[in-house]
Amino acid sequence: MQGRQHISAQFAAELDGIRSAVMEMGGKVERQIMLASEGLESRDSGPAEEAIAIDRDINRMEVEIDEQCALILARRQPAAGDLRLIISIIKLTTDLERIGDEASRVARLVIKLASAGGADPIYLHTAKVARHVSSMLREALDAFARMSVSAAVRVVLSDKEIDEDYRNGLSKLTSAMQQRPEQVEKLLDHMWALRSLERIGDHATNIAEQVVYLTRGVDIRHLGNERLENLLD
Amino acid sequence: MNHPDMETFNAFIEASKASKTKRRQAPSLQVEDVSLSYPAEPNALQNISLEIPSGCVTAVIGPSGCGKSTLLRCFNRMNDTIDGCRYSGSIFLDGANILSDGIDVTSLRRKVGMVFQRPNPFPKSVFDNVAYGPRLAGIRSQRQLDEIVENALRSAALWDEVKDRLDAMAGNLSLGQQQRLVIARAIAVEPEVLLLDEPASSLDPISTLKIEELIYELKSDYTIVIVTHNMQQAGRVSDYTAFMSGGRLIEFDATDRIFTNPSERATEDYITGRVG
Amino acid sequence: MTSGPLSDFHGEGSVFAAWALRRAGVMLWLTSGMAVSAIVLLIGMLGLLCWLAFAGDAFGAAAGHFPGALAVLSQGEPPYTAEALFSAIVGTITVTLLMSLLVDPLGILVAVYLHVYARQHWYTDLVRIAIHNLAGVPSIIYGVFGLGFFVYWVGGGIDELFFSDSLPRATFGTPGILWAAITLALLTLPTVIVSIEEGLLRLPASLREGSFALGATRFETVVGVLLPATMTSVVTGVILAVARATGEVAPLMLVGVVKYAPSLPVSIEAPFIHLEQKFMHLGYLVYDLTLHAPAGNGRVALIAVVALSLVLVTMSLTTFAAVLRGRFRYQYAQEGLL
Repeated sequence: MQGRQHISAQFAAELDGIRSAVMEMGGKVERQIMLASEGLESRDSGPAEEAIAIDRDINRMEVEIDEQCALILARRQPAAGDLRLIISIIKLTTDLERIGDEASRVARLVIKLASAGGADPIYLHTAKVARHVSSMLREALDAFARMSVSAAVRVVLSDKEIDEDYRNGLSKLTSAMQQRPEQVEKLLDHMWALRSLERIGDHATNIAEQVVYLTRGVDIRHLGNERLENLLD
Repeated sequence: MNHPDMETFNAFIEASKASKTKRRQAPSLQVEDVSLSYPAEPNALQNISLEIPSGCVTAVIGPSGCGKSTLLRCFNRMNDTIDGCRYSGSIFLDGANILSDGIDVTSLRRKVGMVFQRPNPFPKSVFDNVAYGPRLAGIRSQRQLDEIVENALRSAALWDEVKDRLDAMAGNLSLGQQQRLVIARAIAVEPEVLLLDEPASSLDPISTLKIEELIYELKSDYTIVIVTHNMQQAGRVSDYTAFMSGGRLIEFDATDRIFTNPSERATEDYITGRVG
Repeated sequence: MTSGPLSDFHGEGSVFAAWALRRAGVMLWLTSGMAVSAIVLLIGMLGLLCWLAFAGDAFGAAAGHFPGALAVLSQGEPPYTAEALFSAIVGTITVTLLMSLLVDPLGILVAVYLHVYARQHWYTDLVRIAIHNLAGVPSIIYGVFGLGFFVYWVGGGIDELFFSDSLPRATFGTPGILWAAITLALLTLPTVIVSIEEGLLRLPASLREGSFALGATRFETVVGVLLPATMTSVVTGVILAVARATGEVAPLMLVGVVKYAPSLPVSIEAPFIHLEQKFMHLGYLVYDLTLHAPAGNGRVALIAVVALSLVLVTMSLTTFAAVLRGRFRYQYAQEGLL
């Protein structure tokens, strides 16, 4: 979108700086989810602990990036595209930080489940959802990096599938709970994990919606998937 | 996952942008295909068409030499004072084409007042400065003049500061006060339109803000067109913004839109401070 | 830099000299010295005149003393009488004032036309050059022109139209104070025009634009804004004109000054000013005395007295005008307008 050079090289550098910071934060969050997913698959608490450790970095980055945005607003009075960029980034950091929190929650559950032991196809299903959500986040961040509206809209629409995964998982879990009532605690933990993953999907959708606002200046939040679907099918 | 149909999506986006455009008031000044040249600048204005809405503040922004002051000076025919100036097209004010030959330029200039970049009060007293225009119009009664001068100075937010020294020489006022005096002088003849050519560019920040506040108060009574090279000022003060470059009008829209999401790439580049 | 001001001068003589000049304040001495010399000269000249007029024996037989001058004045025949001196003073003042009355509006009109109304083209520049050149024309030429055009042609025409019953005795077709005033006005017109135009040029264009933007015509702008703002330059022009005019004797000899005029050009009876009369002038009186005064005591003193009168009349006229200008300056004092 911004193909031309800013007259103020310092301003351009500042904008580049926070964009890179956001991408870095996003990368860290992605890694968190991947580690949690690994932990689920291998029922190993090692990756899960690493995922929790990353969360401290993420929180710190949220504060730093928000502060940098406030400074840019105060000193540069950005307008048009630059203004939308700053506003979007402020919202993005919130979403990324929440994703980090949810990923940590999943990681903690992995640690708990790992100690309980026992193989289970349920783990694999949850891990698959985790991978799904992770790729959704990656696509959202990629849409931000490339300022691509089409990629962003794809992400918004794919939230539907995450919701379906979540519903499937829930029904599987409820039937499992009925069949194996002695494992209810463990199964409930899975349910919390699934819930966190579904929330991550929502946050990734938010990020994609912000990308649309950033590139086209139109707010598509709260339009409802149906309306969007009708537009796009 | 389906591949979204981007065409329909784009159409949706354009439609939602359009629905946010403010309903415009009745236009006060209608510019139709105006082109202007003078010896030093053969392409000063090229095929400009726009409608200045009444009762609002319209800002004209653009890089140096883009023709914004030239366009402003078309509205009161001040370009006529430039030797060798030629123009074509029409500008309609209250239904009459002010660029036509038959127009009485002096009475046009009473309807369309102008304030310049550097305050230019006459070397006369404060009172005589403001009374200059009414006296030209033939008003001789001292009582009437007193009333007109007081009203004008009050409207320009200057009365309290000068009411005890109306006989003082205008040159003794501070620059900010002088500029408000010049605004009062322009208002005293009760124009319909006020043209402000970078009115605050030679003032300090506090005086600038006072002038901007004054503009806000004045817009309910006059149509105001302001040329400014200060983008933040355009954002603070105007309802509509016209962006010009190289003698052409690039974009004209509500200020809200121009400053958050302009349609033209050139506008976006200028507003965010990017050059090609 | 560890060096003083001399360290950069590696033997470059002229640079050093320039520096030395500045350090020693030579310019200050030079300029103040010049000013002092000018004042000393002026005072010296006046002093000499006064001394010649009033002091005792100095040049032997040629010199005189005031009693001598008085004696000549009171006992001599016209035009060497006290009344003659008085008549000359009145004549000088009258013709100068008449000239100012004529040159002022004319100068303003021409300067305003050139500056405000005329389209700035090569031919307006040509007119300006012509005006500047006219200032350098020798004054006797103006006298000849005044004689030929005004006295004979215009004056003759007036006589034929209005005073035909007095012919062949000319009323206006002969040198008189009116033609003298007009001739002097023409003589000093270029100076006045230049002065006023300079004043107009110094006015910022924003003043004119501001007036136009309020709906004023060019005429209203000139009368309401431009002229009041350049009053100082108008008065300056008049001062210059007066200073020059009181000193020009040669043209006046052709167009109206006589050795002895029996009556004053101004009087208490209507029409108060007699434009067709010839008059006396202090400058001419000096000339006449030097060549034709009766020999004897008091002659030099008499010349000195007349010369002194001329200087005093000139100085008082210009001083009066300068005081007037000072009042305008105070009234219109504003940044960048003087």
